[in-house]
Amino acid sequence: MKMNYRQEVDTVNEYSQLSAWKSARLGDRLSVIYGLIVVLVVVVSYVLGAFKWLPHDPEAMDLDAMMAGPLTDGYLLGTDYMGRDILTRLILGIQAYFLPGLLAVGIALGLGSLLGVLAGYRGGRAETAVTYFSNLIDSLPRMVLMLLVIAAFRPNIYTIMIVFAITTAPTVGMLVKGKVMMLKERNFIESAVALGLSPAAIIFKHILWYNCRALLLIQATIGMAEAVLLETSLSYLGFGVQEPTPSWGNMVQAGANYLMQGNFWPSTAPAIAIIFTVLGFHLLGDGLNNIFEWKQSR
Amino acid sequence: MKRFAWGSVAKVLWQELAATAALLLGVSLVVFVILYLAPGDPFAALLGGRSLSGAERDAAFEALGIPKTWYGQYLAWVGNVLHGDFGISTRSGQPVTAELLSGGANTLFLTLGSLVVTLGVAIPMAAYAAIRPTSWFARSSTVLVYVVSALPTFWLGYMLIYFFTRKLGLFPILSGTDESQEHSWLYALLPVFLLGLGNGALSEIVRYLREEIARVMGEEYVRTARAKGASLWRHAYKEALLLPVSQIIAAKMPFVLGGAIIVEQVFNWPGLGRVAWQAAQDRDYPVIMAITLLAAIVVRLGSFLHRTVYVAVNPRASHQ
Repeated sequence: MKMNYRQEVDTVNEYSQLSAWKSARLGDRLSVIYGLIVVLVVVVSYVLGAFKWLPHDPEAMDLDAMMAGPLTDGYLLGTDYMGRDILTRLILGIQAYFLPGLLAVGIALGLGSLLGVLAGYRGGRAETAVTYFSNLIDSLPRMVLMLLVIAAFRPNIYTIMIVFAITTAPTVGMLVKGKVMMLKERNFIESAVALGLSPAAIIFKHILWYNCRALLLIQATIGMAEAVLLETSLSYLGFGVQEPTPSWGNMVQAGANYLMQGNFWPSTAPAIAIIFTVLGFHLLGDGLNNIFEWKQSR
Repeated sequence: MKRFAWGSVAKVLWQELAATAALLLGVSLVVFVILYLAPGDPFAALLGGRSLSGAERDAAFEALGIPKTWYGQYLAWVGNVLHGDFGISTRSGQPVTAELLSGGANTLFLTLGSLVVTLGVAIPMAAYAAIRPTSWFARSSTVLVYVVSALPTFWLGYMLIYFFTRKLGLFPILSGTDESQEHSWLYALLPVFLLGLGNGALSEIVRYLREEIARVMGEEYVRTARAKGASLWRHAYKEALLLPVSQIIAAKMPFVLGGAIIVEQVFNWPGLGRVAWQAAQDRDYPVIMAITLLAAIVVRLGSFLHRTVYVAVNPRASHQ
């Protein structure tokens, strides 16, 4: 019984977030800390790239130092097959996905919350429609849909990310829906209704803000990881960012031509960047999920 | 004791079949509308960029028997597709259906093989970790699987090619050449393993399976079975293995199909992923439409399979 009481307190008490952190497992805490470091590095690099505070000119070729390894003089992370500084190009590669990814995540969360609230709070026909839409989107593999959209519109990265957002929204929507349906039965929502609070206040403040923000934050980090993978994959396939503008995907692709000669570094450096970033966003999301969501639902 | 309740299965499956048909109809509409809204006119492209005036165009459409309204065109297309006719590729001039059949077999081999690899790795790992959650193996496998899931498929593919062809000299460099080379069948295993392990969903799958197995192992009927010394496998395999595995196949089918596009690109694998990539490159509408529909059908089939297993294992689901 004591457990039940604590859970009840957890979900409404403002201090619950802190106590959840303190009682979390070490692995989850390490995951979150690692994820936060990755987010910090990405944001700082994005700012550096946006203001062009870079160690080298990203397109300047040093023909004396082609495919230099890491820690070569003047080139901290070496150079690629045209003698361009890899570190500079890695920093600039963040431009390719950062803003489009944020935009996509924002749209996905907004649209997803809307769908979820519509299905969970309204129920009935709205729920049927949202479920149908969700199943419809789930039937189309994302990569295949992207190729279809690319064939039709020759879109830029922002359009691609909007399509990505539309395909992600139902996932978020279904999670929000589950949460809303659970909350609707709870006393504090019933009393809010009885007190005559407006539906907008109940939905935005008491449901979405107080009770879904952890879930939405977690979905945002997972969405960001997927955005990175999508952008790099499309750039690898030649449909995203084009040379000479760097993207981690087209850097791997360009470097791969020299891989068979044993020159690993030019395509491995961006791959490592992808691994650390994707891992960071995933671990952040899963760590937060274990700490703030999973315990409550038990 | 009846193992599976087939009677109630049939009833639910009819409903599922209807839902699947409704979804596929929706998918076809989405596919058609996207391409209908696309800028540029395939008809003009056919005439080498020369655009026709309204009257000439109408006359040409009339002569070729092409419906003028968008819904007329949509219905004509769906009608043809239902007869197995996906039209003619604007790039090669060949019927799309023939192209789908040859590439489809290769992609099917790749995707189904990779599912076998994924499950073959994930099930034992998850089962062991569920039974011994504090062992070093359980802990280190969690970390390992996370890292594997973050590896970009395309880069991992190049690494595999390098190590297996250059360092170990096991496989020929090129696939799909006419002359049959020694070990060439082995080469087919490389993309299958790459897609199976590097599709980015491995950690999610292992975690899901582990939680499901651990949950079922804590159920009271399992405890009873253990206490009286009955076969654990016979009592628990339905809920702990059959259900989660079919759930994973249904949920991860889109990922595997999407990953196949990349893997086929890395390995020059003559499958539908490469055909789709080429079609996107050339704006070959009939081909990309057909492949998108086909992918949706495969995804729905996976989901249908899961529902079948779910209802067969849990007959109560049919009385909703």
